[in-house]
Amino acid sequence: MSMTQPQQGETLMQIRNLDKSFGGVKAVDDVTMDLRAGIVTTLVGPNGAGKTTFFNLITGNLPRDGGEVTWLGRDIAGVKPHRIARAGIMRTYQDLRLFDGMTVWENVLNATEYGALPIPLGSAARAARRERIERVLERTGLADKRNTRALDLAYAERKFLSMARIMATEARLWLLDEPASGLDPASYDRFLTILREDVAGGVTVCIIEHNLDIVIGISDRIAFLDRGKLLADGDPQTVLNDPELAKIYFGERT
Amino acid sequence: MLAIQLAITGLQTGALYALTAVGFSLIFGSTRIFHFAHGAAFVIAAYFFYAAFGAGWGVIPAIGVSAFGAVAFGLLLDRLVYVPIQRHEGSFFTVFVASFGVGIAVQNVIGMIFGRGYVTVNTTLSRSVEVIPEVYVSPLAWIAIACAAVFLGGLGFFLKRTHTGMALRALADNPELVRTFGLNPRAIQAAAFAIGSVIVVPAAIITSATTGLSPAIGHHVMLISLAATIVGGIGSIPGTMLAGVMLGLAESLALLVVDTQWTEAVTFAILFAFIIIRPSGLLGRATAH
Amino acid sequence: MEAYIYNLVNLIAIYSILAVTLNFIMGYAGIYSLAHAVFFGLGAYTSAFVAQNVSASILVSFPAAMLAAGVVSLALALPALRVRGEYFVAASLGLQVLSVTIYSEWKGFTGGIGGVLAIPPVNILGIDVFRPAAFAILSVTVLVLVLLIVNALVHSSFGRNLRAIRDSESAAASFGKNVPVIKTISVVISAALAALAGALYASYLSFINVESFTLDTSVLVMAMVIIGGTGTVAGPIVGAAILLILPSVISYFDFLPQTEIGSLQQIIYGLGMTLLMIFRPGGIVGRRSGT
Repeated sequence: MSMTQPQQGETLMQIRNLDKSFGGVKAVDDVTMDLRAGIVTTLVGPNGAGKTTFFNLITGNLPRDGGEVTWLGRDIAGVKPHRIARAGIMRTYQDLRLFDGMTVWENVLNATEYGALPIPLGSAARAARRERIERVLERTGLADKRNTRALDLAYAERKFLSMARIMATEARLWLLDEPASGLDPASYDRFLTILREDVAGGVTVCIIEHNLDIVIGISDRIAFLDRGKLLADGDPQTVLNDPELAKIYFGERT
Repeated sequence: MLAIQLAITGLQTGALYALTAVGFSLIFGSTRIFHFAHGAAFVIAAYFFYAAFGAGWGVIPAIGVSAFGAVAFGLLLDRLVYVPIQRHEGSFFTVFVASFGVGIAVQNVIGMIFGRGYVTVNTTLSRSVEVIPEVYVSPLAWIAIACAAVFLGGLGFFLKRTHTGMALRALADNPELVRTFGLNPRAIQAAAFAIGSVIVVPAAIITSATTGLSPAIGHHVMLISLAATIVGGIGSIPGTMLAGVMLGLAESLALLVVDTQWTEAVTFAILFAFIIIRPSGLLGRATAH
Repeated sequence: MEAYIYNLVNLIAIYSILAVTLNFIMGYAGIYSLAHAVFFGLGAYTSAFVAQNVSASILVSFPAAMLAAGVVSLALALPALRVRGEYFVAASLGLQVLSVTIYSEWKGFTGGIGGVLAIPPVNILGIDVFRPAAFAILSVTVLVLVLLIVNALVHSSFGRNLRAIRDSESAAASFGKNVPVIKTISVVISAALAALAGALYASYLSFINVESFTLDTSVLVMAMVIIGGTGTVAGPIVGAAILLILPSVISYFDFLPQTEIGSLQQIIYGLGMTLLMIFRPGGIVGRRSGT
């Protein structure tokens, strides 16, 4: 990792009283939380709880109705998505949104290319970048598929490509929208390994996940959302053992 | 006096534009299909009327032929082109190009049959009468305005008050919801095409007696439809109606300062101004990224 | 026969430049423009004007044509690309319609309906190029240059950014790409290169009028790209060749009404586009999409 190791526990993002409604329905309702460096925060809650909307508000994909989001002390209200990304906040999408017509290699390479116009890199920088991508493909198990179009990948490979794109960047905060859903056990061990390694390397993660094994396996902290409201926010054991929350969570799903 | 004259003519043009554009807007708003061949539906309706009326069938049968042509065209296009494309992917690109191709073919088939020049339906109704000193209005102007009021009012009622109408409005946002209503989304889509196509018929027929027809008029129809849809706000039927009337009035009133060949430039200027200043349109919701 | 072949080569080269440059935005950036003939015309009128009033040197008239088209395309693209793709289709259709009026009315620049007559042949290092054979070398050279430029762009980070935007605009933005700016640059490049086709055309025919720059031309070029295959290198050229040879093929079949060649051509490519979209959206050269 080329980034400097952030001080453990430093507050990267402050979210205060965040609000968003769609046609009178509150999708995110007065949510307040901090995202601290090196901490894996998992958002759980029934479908339609507002988890993805929460991501969309942070990344500027949706305008918020009220509240405040600061990143490294700076207000990011009304900032365009690409600027927020360049500031070090990147995300994956539940429906992946891969660059389907491009190869695996191009997908990963392009995730690191921000500038509108080609910037000539020195050969050393090019080699470093190639090595970095090589390593990402190795870790995600996509090394053999580098020349395959994203469209032609299998399901699990597509999910890993979505991860590979974000791994190749220098983002400090990853917002992962159900990155492990539908993975087979082997893939999901691989996924957990990747996440642990990168978190150890200094990345801060906020993840939406339904699978409780994964939630328990990686979370430092769990935030429970229901109908846009943050019902609980704390260490995994406390939140997961709360009978009220379990009722909401499982009640919705059956 | 000239201003009043132009305002009345503008209202007539605007009424026809509203009728024309609302069909496209309804189809696009509810099905997300970029129905570029809407212009071709207009051309078919107009020329079917022209042919039947010219053959001495009388007005009512000719209107029937015209309506049949437009609806059959809309439904066939939906069934034979859009549904198969939606089955494999249905990106904006494929739908637009397929629709566009049909539009080109229709324009040229009509051109081969009826000639590429302008044709006009002759009727005494297009003869202007002096209503107040120096202001001449043809009965067709009143007919156009009345048709717009009746058809657009009827459409509004249909969309707000009937089961199918509400399903049409819900289709764009949530096809699943339509299913829970117990309705078939594909049937609703077909309904959108039938209604969207039939509503151009009065505009096509009146245009054939006023400004006249050419096979290439489909492009003009599309420019108006797209402009009114965007200026009105994508997804807003009342917005499209309002924008249609506004465009007609603007084109006509612009004649106070410019020559007739610049009327389309006025449409473009308004469209461009809205794209720059208010991309969500008159009555549209702001679109998310 | 020889004259016929050279003429065909020149026309195919000129229209291939149009198709390749339109494909650059359609196939790689997913921007659908109905105004390509506007930039073709602007290139033709500007180079004709410069050749008549300033210099017929290729080093003067051609860059002037590119500059004019680039500036006008910037004015179109900057606002229209900030919003959804449909807006650009509408705005480009509007610009195309408006431009035909301007080209018919602005007599000082375009000669009005009558057009511009007696355009001097293009001058390269003191040599006037006007014989069809010599001109064919020039037009094919320009086509090759345009292809090389487009190809280099497509394989650079800029081209990857365009394709990323085409495949998922929101994901591209989430990886830090300034989507409207990248799209706008691509439209300006496309228009400026298309103006080269216009400059060649004006110099080759020595006479131009608005008939060549109408919506029909924009549609024809779009059909070339789609039928050949969007997002491919060879597709637009194959498409241009097929559609330009088509009228001769039609006239070969005696049973077809020969007075309607133009209409028949349009019906064939109109239906061809529709059928391709239903059965083979990638075009003739394109790969089949999906697995």
